[in-house]
Amino acid sequence: MFKGLFNIIVKEVKELVRDPKILLGMIIVPLIMFPLMGFAIQTSMETAEESMRSISIAVMDLDEGPVAENLTNFLIALNVIIVEVDYLNFTEAVNYVQQLNVTGLVVIPSGFSNNITEGLKAELDVYTVFRGGGIVESTSSSMISALFETFEEGLVVQKVGEKFPETRETVLNPIEMSEKSIIKGKPVNVNPSVLFGLMVLQSTGMPVGIMMLLIFAMQLAATSVASEKEEKTLETLLTLPINRFTILAGKLTGSIVVAVIGAAAYIVGFNYYMSSFMGMMPTEIGVDLATIGLAPTPISYLLLGVSLFVSLLSALALAISISIFAEDVRGAQALVGPLSMLLVFPMIIMMFTDVYALPFPLMIVLLAIPFTHPMLASKVAFTGDYLTAVIGIAYVSIFTIVVLYIAARLFGTEKILTAKLKFRKLRFRKLKK
Amino acid sequence: MGLAVECNALVKDFGDVRALDGLSFQVKNGEIYGLIGPNGAGKTTALRIVSTLLLPTSGSVKVFGQDVVDDASEIRRVISYLPEEAGAYKNLSGYEYLEFMAKFTTEDKEVIKESVDVAARISGLEERLKDKVKTYSKGMKRRLLVARALMTKPKLAVLDEPTSGLDVLHSVHVRGLIKQYVENQGVTVLLSSHNMLEVEHLCDRVALIDKGKIVAEGSPAELKKSVNASNLEEVFAKVVGFV
Repeated sequence: MFKGLFNIIVKEVKELVRDPKILLGMIIVPLIMFPLMGFAIQTSMETAEESMRSISIAVMDLDEGPVAENLTNFLIALNVIIVEVDYLNFTEAVNYVQQLNVTGLVVIPSGFSNNITEGLKAELDVYTVFRGGGIVESTSSSMISALFETFEEGLVVQKVGEKFPETRETVLNPIEMSEKSIIKGKPVNVNPSVLFGLMVLQSTGMPVGIMMLLIFAMQLAATSVASEKEEKTLETLLTLPINRFTILAGKLTGSIVVAVIGAAAYIVGFNYYMSSFMGMMPTEIGVDLATIGLAPTPISYLLLGVSLFVSLLSALALAISISIFAEDVRGAQALVGPLSMLLVFPMIIMMFTDVYALPFPLMIVLLAIPFTHPMLASKVAFTGDYLTAVIGIAYVSIFTIVVLYIAARLFGTEKILTAKLKFRKLRFRKLKK
Repeated sequence: MGLAVECNALVKDFGDVRALDGLSFQVKNGEIYGLIGPNGAGKTTALRIVSTLLLPTSGSVKVFGQDVVDDASEIRRVISYLPEEAGAYKNLSGYEYLEFMAKFTTEDKEVIKESVDVAARISGLEERLKDKVKTYSKGMKRRLLVARALMTKPKLAVLDEPTSGLDVLHSVHVRGLIKQYVENQGVTVLLSSHNMLEVEHLCDRVALIDKGKIVAEGSPAELKKSVNASNLEEVFAKVVGFV
């Protein structure tokens, strides 16, 4: 039955990989585009960091009291460049900071130190120079606020210490809270926010990868059939001594091979892109998911692989069945394009929430979409909920068999040559073998 | 002499359009039989049915005694079909394309190589076979496709407008090849053309088709004699009442 299958697979892969549009769009662009985006973001983040390291503040000290002096010394101790503008009036000071690229201006009014010493509220005017927005300015502004808040906290601690010399710590932190988690019915001594952070890092990448793989595969399968029509090679192919199902299987396999290469290119590029953010974020060290039972087991990986495979088959069969009705590649891609919504919709939802936490009708709609299930399998791989994965595989398998049957029927009839997008009743008259 | 093709009362409808309207003809083993007629006469539809691509709405077609509906797989083993507007895989080289096609008829590497060598000789493309098909001119592509259709020595070659897109010299070359192939290899050829001079030169017998029906059939000489015409174009015009 599968005589000639390998021959077709090799041809399909050669044709697809040598197609400049596919080579560029699916393999080269992601390997260049994502790293470039990552580089751009990394560069701007580094610039922002650099700017934060060189914060300069113009200080107009109209108070000249001890607390104002402490404040200036505190800023100097934190490597803030201080520019004294006491000799200028306010308007001149504003012009000065505007022209000399100073980050902000602090006006310490007269009586500042006295008010604090007397236990009264003291005022402080802090200006950040707005030069057009952007991440750098936003972070500089936050940084200036943080500096003064830290100074204020120091004052609070000092005041509390003076009032309650023996019990300062308990007055400041009356409750000692210990946050822990419950995993699979067992208490674990790990902060849930740490756990969620780690889980998000490990589980969001997978739905994105799955979505990309399936979208590529569908586009490739549609292109593969439509280009046979467009290039007028289909008629010759269909008169060769080869089973029509073998042609279908060859196209499916060829598309899978190239889609896997394309998805790998995207994942490599995307990981680089993500790492440009992640490398700058603080990471929690010392929590091993495997030791607390949240790492995927070999069975989880197996179920995820099976789920992904049947979903891939169903996506390809669906794309092929639909692309049969197109006359050329552009038409096929236009027909298959809307199917991407079936992938994007579950991916977005799965990235942000649990499918079972959704309202019932939405949950049913989501579970009816076969492409939800590999994404679900990628999540349950961490929790060990094998039953959900198995039920998903069973559902997608049935869906795949139905779609494959339809694709095979279409391939086995003259519809593959004569079908055009006219929504008339399809008549299947199968050629007897 | 046995029959290669038997076509009886063949009807083919595409929706409301009747492409073939009771077409009947027979092709004998080892002959070159031509279907000629204007565009839209039904030639391509008839050839597609013989080649198991389309199904008859009614009537029957047998190829070497086997039915195109019931025995499609068996028929595909002994025929080779060249569509009128056929293309080749543009990202494969000429050699890769020929090898890809040859592998469907045999697994014997020697035979595959022999077929590809034959095709290389027929096409006359020589070193250009190493280049990708997308760099070929229309004429080169057609020569490659004709070579592909004949290289595996099919029992029946179904050629739809075999010299379509070829210049005069290459048309003469391809016609010579087809004729030579029939004589040397015992191949039967069923072809279509709207080039009456080509058919007159090439075919042992022809059928003139108009509006899905055969309006006249016989050898070119018989047909010319029957209506006292000097060539097949004149015969066709007279038969359909154009002059």
